[in-house]
Formats: sequence, structure tokens, C-alpha cells
Amino acid sequence: MEDSKERVSQIVDHIMKNCLWQFHSRAWDRLRQNENILGMTAKILLDEKVEIKTPDDKCYWVDAVCLADACRKKFSWISSSSREELADVMASLKERMDFLTVTGSLNEELTDKHY
Amino acid sequence: MPYHLFKCSQCIPEREKHAVIKGPGEDLSMALPLGYLNTIPGSISERGCAYCGAKHVIGTPMKDVIHLSHGPVGCTYDTWQTKRYISDNDNFQLKYTFASDMKEKHIVFGAERLLKDNIKEAFKAFPGIKRMTIYQTCASALIGDDINAIAAEIMEDMPEVDIFVCNSPGFGGPSQSGGHHKINIAWINQKVGTVEPEITSDYVINYVGEYNIQGDQEVMQDYFKRMGIQVLSTFTGNGSYDDLRAMHRAHLNVLECARSAEYICNELRVRYGIPRLDIDGFGFEPLSSSLRKIGLFFGIEDRAQAIIDEETAKWKPELDWYKERLKGKKVCLWPGGSKLWHWAHAIHAEMGVDVVSVYTKFGHQGDMEKGISRCEEGALAIDDPNELEGLEAMETLKPDCIFTGKRPGEVAKKIRVPYLNAHAYHNGPWKGFEGWVRFARDIYNAIYSPVHQLSLVDIRTDEAIGDAGFATRKSFSDANLPEEVKNSETLREYTGKYSIIPDLQAKTHPEFARREPEPAAV
Repeated sequence: MEDSKERVSQIVDHIMKNCLWQFHSRAWDRLRQNENILGMTAKILLDEKVEIKTPDDKCYWVDAVCLADACRKKFSWISSSSREELADVMASLKERMDFLTVTGSLNEELTDKHY
Repeated sequence: MPYHLFKCSQCIPEREKHAVIKGPGEDLSMALPLGYLNTIPGSISERGCAYCGAKHVIGTPMKDVIHLSHGPVGCTYDTWQTKRYISDNDNFQLKYTFASDMKEKHIVFGAERLLKDNIKEAFKAFPGIKRMTIYQTCASALIGDDINAIAAEIMEDMPEVDIFVCNSPGFGGPSQSGGHHKINIAWINQKVGTVEPEITSDYVINYVGEYNIQGDQEVMQDYFKRMGIQVLSTFTGNGSYDDLRAMHRAHLNVLECARSAEYICNELRVRYGIPRLDIDGFGFEPLSSSLRKIGLFFGIEDRAQAIIDEETAKWKPELDWYKERLKGKKVCLWPGGSKLWHWAHAIHAEMGVDVVSVYTKFGHQGDMEKGISRCEEGALAIDDPNELEGLEAMETLKPDCIFTGKRPGEVAKKIRVPYLNAHAYHNGPWKGFEGWVRFARDIYNAIYSPVHQLSLVDIRTDEAIGDAGFATRKSFSDANLPEEVKNSETLREYTGKYSIIPDLQAKTHPEFARREPEPAAV
């Protein structure tokens, strides 16, 4: 359990210091980004097929590939984890990112209806 | 993350929620400075106005345009002496500035006639320029001059010209950021989709939120061209008016400064289905990752990787020379909006400096989320600081250098803290691989300048009198360096030219064969 929390925290730290996609302007934007990019990252790490149907999908995929590459390079536990462990970490990661960037965020502009 | 109330702001207690200190193990859900709010009365802000944000930040970098302010001449103050968004057409937009020069009588009797005469006069004075932007100011907004109607009349009389009107008076928002928003939306509403461009590549981008400060855009454009990518338009540095009317035909919006230009990217996504990819042009690692992402998007990642390998091999030994000498130096990142997050992590990781404070003059809470996430524990984050808070922070944190605008920068000099111009740069460009080394060199020169060392001497004391001998930057920076670093055969000082832009402008880029068009369905 502790291991899983620590692993999530390592990836969160990497995302926060190196990525920008998690900080789009509005809550709905951020949920969409987290869902798609982290969802695709999980699939890439689990060697599952990623479907790219639209230009937007391609953008999510690009960020997902870079995140998956960075995770493999930085965190040796990725290669030694079982599929179940990895899937759990990625699900918790999504939950944590949603909290930090949307549900627990103190950014008052997230609920603005317009861009 | 506790909020922080400066001693000097105890008489303005509302300021407390505008600053936080990033504590160990704390995250963004615990505290975040307020942002993008009206400046609290009593606090002498360093912000600009919404007109400035629209014209001087976003509009004027467009290069082939007469930029005319409909207002008093003083509103055009910011031009070649304060701004450094150069262009490859001999800096037309910086060299010439235009105002309708409204006076008291125009406030009383109206200034539409005056504006119309000014427009005609400006086009007559520069017959080679057929495009114009007109910016509303506080004065013309308050008397209700209908600038759009005047522009329409002129375009009817002179069909060869095209005019864009930006209604963003100085009072139209809490800061220049209000003007960024207004001009983004005005441009897409009025101009995008009114020109059909020639597409010359299979890979077409709009490069958005890039203002060509000392040539940044030209550095990045070089990488894109080496990858075979057509930069359809740049919003707006070194950008052409008509290219920007054709933004709707790009395959991808590559967004650099999200603070000033995410609005148009978001709208292009909603209206034209063009996706938005946020990138970082500063720092070896972030820039490499950005080029790789663009390459991946188009399926040409090998071209991106070739550039990354070549540039890294060439410039990394020079970056590392400076890193060895900058390690542990304390810096404050005090720019306007986006650079606090563009630089916060990269500068620490790649130059070894410790970012002890970040601030933003006009950023939103989203910018603070990014900035605080990217800096290390203990950093002080401030929204819309006033001059006294800046002074108090420098006295408390004792930075070796601050990166900020020239007004707070001059204040810093008075208390003998060197500063670098974060908005307009010292010896830029600072984007790109070579640019990042130039930034490191500027920081090194600022911190170790013998003149700066002399300024620290209190000449009222007897100890100041005497022969300190000849000193150089290196004699200060290398005094305590290990021998193997000092005498390293791999690390070296910056070897580039004084100005790197003319070579880029003269460069010929490779041509890539285009894909065969797919046969039409029968």
C-alpha cells in the first residue's frame, strides 16, 4: 500500500515538474486531459492498443507516449511490476491528479463557463 | 502551504492571500495565492493596463502592420526603447509607432474625424504597408468613438487595405492579462478564416504565444523548418497579418505562452477542430521533449531526434561550464506571467541555481499552480507584488540575481542585487539550445561582474581603500572550483556569435518530399 502511494507520488512529481497538459484552463478541460492522457499512458505501459481516431486523440497520445517513456526511464519499478500492480498505480494516479488539478484545486477560474 | 503577509503590507491585510511559501510535503490543494483580481487599493502594483496587454504585448509584434493607437500620444510610449520583439522586415513595427494624438477638444467634440484622417495619413506615409491594427484606449472608449465604423468606411474607400480593430481600453481588466484575452477573441472573431493560405508541407502548425523576443521565434522556426514543418503563422512575434488570418488551416496549434494566447488556441480547437499542444522552448530537456512531441504528432520523430542530438552535442558542454559556476546561487523568478513556470524547474535542473521565489505581475491562479509545482520547497510565491514587498523579499531571501522587468530591476540594483530583464532579455535570444546557454552566460555575467562586486563595497570604510588588484568574472567564479572542473577539457564557455539571428535569417532549409495525395474514392 505504502509502495503504491510512493509510486503515485513519484509520477505526480514528474508530471508537475515537467508537463503542462494537466493545467488547462477549466475544470472540464482538465478532467478531459487527465482522463485521456493518463488513460492512454496506462495502456502504453500495459502494452495495450491505443486507439487514435481524431486530431485531439493524437495530441493526448503524444503526451502519453512522452510520459510513459519518462516513467520507464526514471522508475525502475515500472518494469518489475505486475500488470495488476501497474494498473492499480495508474488508477490511483488518475484519482490523485483529478484531486490536485480539479476537485481539490483552489483555482477559482476553473468553473468559469467561457474561455 | 501557509499564506505569507509581508511586514510592509500589514496595513493592507488583504495582501496576505496573495503570497504563499511552499512547505515540505505540501501540495496545491492546501494554499494557492489569489490571482487575476483588481489590485488592492494602497498597493502600488507593477502591472500594466489592458490596452498595454492587447497592443504592446500581443498586437504590435505583428511585423507588416501599421499599429495605430486611438488616444493620447503617451499611450504609444512602449516602442523601440522598451520592447525587443524584433522582426525580419527591418523591425518596421518597432521603428514606427502611430497615435491619433487625442487632445482635450477631441474628448469634448469627438475624435472619429481625427481618426479617419490619421488612418489615411498613415497609409499615405507608408504606401508599401496595406494592413493596420487600431487600438482603442481609455480616452476613445470613454467618449464612445465607433472605431469599427470608421475602419469599415476606410476599407470601403480603400479596398486594398485591411484593418483590425481591438477594443481593449486600459480599464478593460485588472491587468494587461485582460487585454491578452480581448485581442485573442477579437482576432479570431474578425480575422481568422478570411485568407486561404498556400500549404507547402504535409505538416502545418500555428506557433502560438511566441513574441520573438530578441529572435526567439526565429530560433524555433529554424528547428521547425529543419523538421520540414510549415509554420503557417506565428501568433504574433515576427508574424504576418495575412498569415494570421489563415490560422484555421493549420493541423496543430503549438502553444508556448499559455497565459497570453491559450484563448485563441482553445477557440481554434472548438471552432476548427485544431488540437492544442503546449510546449516549453526554454531548457534542453523541456525543449527536446517539445520537439519530440511535435515530431511524434506528425510521425517525423526521427527528424526531431536528429536536431536534439546535434544541438545537445554542440551546446551541452557550454551549458555545463556555466552550471558548474552557478550551482547553489539563489535566484528570484519575477517575470510577468508565463516565464515563472517555463523557467522554474529547468533553470534549477540544468543550471543548478536555486529558485527561492517566484512571482507574477499579471498571471492567473493557473500560472501559480504551474509555477509552484515546478519550484522547490521553501520558495516564496507572490501574486501582483508591490515594490515594498519586492524589497522586503530581497532583504529576507538575499538572492544572488533576480529576473524581472526593468522597473523592479532598477529597484533591485539600488540595493545591489543584480537583475536580468526577464521580459526583453539582456543578450538574447534565450530560447533554443544555444539561447539557453546565452541565458546561462547572462546570469553568470550578472552574478560575477567585477562591477557588481565593487558595488558591494562600502566605500565609507577604511577597508575599502587600498589596492584590491585586477579582478575578472572568472577570478570570482573559479576561486573555489575543484581543479578537474576548472581545467576540464570538455566544458567550455559560450562560443557563439554576438548576434545569432542574421545567420538564421540567411539560412537555407532542406526540402522534404511531400506525401502522394490519396486517390479519390470512386
